[in-house]
Amino acid sequence: MSAHVGANPEVLANRGLNGLANFRIIPRIETYPRIVEFVQKFAGKVLILALFGAGLHFATEDWIPLTLCLALITFWPSRRRLLVTVATQLFTFVVPWTKFPHPLYTSTLILFVIVTGALLFWSAVEWPRSLVGRHPIVFLLAGYALLVVIAAYFPNTTPWYLTVWDFTYTFGIYLWFIGYSLLDRRSADRDDFSLQLGTYRPFWGSTATPFPKGASYLRRIEAKDAHQLAVVQLKGLKLLAWSLLISVFSKYFGLFLHNYLAIPTFNQTLYHSVMRAPYPWYVCWASLASAFLEDILSMCVWGHRFIACCRMTGFNALRNTYRPLSSRSISEFWNRYYFYFKELLAEFFFYPTFLRFFKNHRKLRLVTATFAAAFFGNIFYHFCRDLNFIATLGLWKAITGFHVYAFYCFLLATGISISQLRASRPKPSGFLRARVAPVICVALFYMLINIFAYLGRDYPISEHFRYFFHLFEFTS
Amino acid sequence: MEPKAEVRQFVQELLTRKGDRQPFSDSDSLLLGGRLESVDAVDIVVFLEEKFHIDFAEVGFDQALIDSVDAIDSLIQTVKK
Repeated sequence: MSAHVGANPEVLANRGLNGLANFRIIPRIETYPRIVEFVQKFAGKVLILALFGAGLHFATEDWIPLTLCLALITFWPSRRRLLVTVATQLFTFVVPWTKFPHPLYTSTLILFVIVTGALLFWSAVEWPRSLVGRHPIVFLLAGYALLVVIAAYFPNTTPWYLTVWDFTYTFGIYLWFIGYSLLDRRSADRDDFSLQLGTYRPFWGSTATPFPKGASYLRRIEAKDAHQLAVVQLKGLKLLAWSLLISVFSKYFGLFLHNYLAIPTFNQTLYHSVMRAPYPWYVCWASLASAFLEDILSMCVWGHRFIACCRMTGFNALRNTYRPLSSRSISEFWNRYYFYFKELLAEFFFYPTFLRFFKNHRKLRLVTATFAAAFFGNIFYHFCRDLNFIATLGLWKAITGFHVYAFYCFLLATGISISQLRASRPKPSGFLRARVAPVICVALFYMLINIFAYLGRDYPISEHFRYFFHLFEFTS
Repeated sequence: MEPKAEVRQFVQELLTRKGDRQPFSDSDSLLLGGRLESVDAVDIVVFLEEKFHIDFAEVGFDQALIDSVDAIDSLIQTVKK
């Protein structure tokens, strides 16, 4: 019977597919009991730290202090959260000291921002019924928007002009980190500010988006015993290896695309389109596809590194990017491509809107909340992040020049909304209809809307539409 | 049916809809562990609002509150009291 079943071509094909699915370039070492046991011992800890440090050597120039901090936390796990705060302060003030153009001035600004964050946190906790206590995030974001407006109109003839801009810029870097600590104010097991401080641009690295979210998340994903720590650290080591592998692949992939195949970058093809000397439509398609793939690879490289270091510290954080090209819906890709940015938009914009408005209109409620996050939140995040445009162009021109990215956010929010509304519909069957077609459609959608995901303020939207139509040969 | 059993059945349906047929215990982290996504959190919220009349605008929302069957059950019991 088993021989008969084994000879069935469908079963053989399934076995082949399963075998393929189970294949790992980097083996799942965290599932090997002997390795997990070894990593819990002194020699094992030293070995994994040495391997991780060697990997970091190829990834960041601060690999020595980073490895030393990881070693300290590895050998003293009972004080992990406090040590994270200490390490984060070292990486905020001490490690980059020589890289700051004016170390004392920059450090003072950062300190001032941190103290502002501490005051906000303390006020929200102490006076829960006050405006700050009831709506701390609205207070924070509206306050920051006001600060940007003040900076934009601050007279540039006064000696304080640069300081106001520098403070606004520094505050912007910490904005979402402070936001996450404010979100934690109501938690029953809330951390005090000394531990919240460890999540303010943590030493393992972050962009303007907090990796991985705030103190509340760290509490829940922290390794509770030596076995969990060993497993998490092995997963961290694997992820760093992935980051390095993808980094090498990305480098040669880029050379292959742009040197060997001579495919221009997206910015080059867009520039030629604006100059009325467009590349042929098929070159533009190739350029768009390569930009899409290179963007994902780049995201994997730094995102994996941040999370690898975070895991090495003992926090079992989810990956930032996880198989985005296997996504079968627009909302699934959005979740898999830049997870912590999506989480930021969900925590600060989606849930607050979803829980308050249109409770009796399910579809309207979902669409409104999605637009609050993917449209409004996305615009707010990027507009406030790229302050250089406001400083150089002025507030009004920076706003009007942002219409292209705003249109991208509109397309994105519309796509995600439709995708979420269709989520409960029965899935198509068959390999092509269920697996291949949706994946291609999702990739095509994101590739095409990326034409408008342009954060510069150089070209009007008509130029982006011209490029879009050229892909289908509607323009010469 | 007991609230916990109802919650478990609902979570099971959510996972099955996503093609996840792996077993799960009542204490397993589903949202923070990555088995469920934000969209699924929305479904859980609506389920709790409709079935148990929980108003998250009043309770205050945190993904940890609905991260596992145990956590959801604990939330239901707290709100009932």
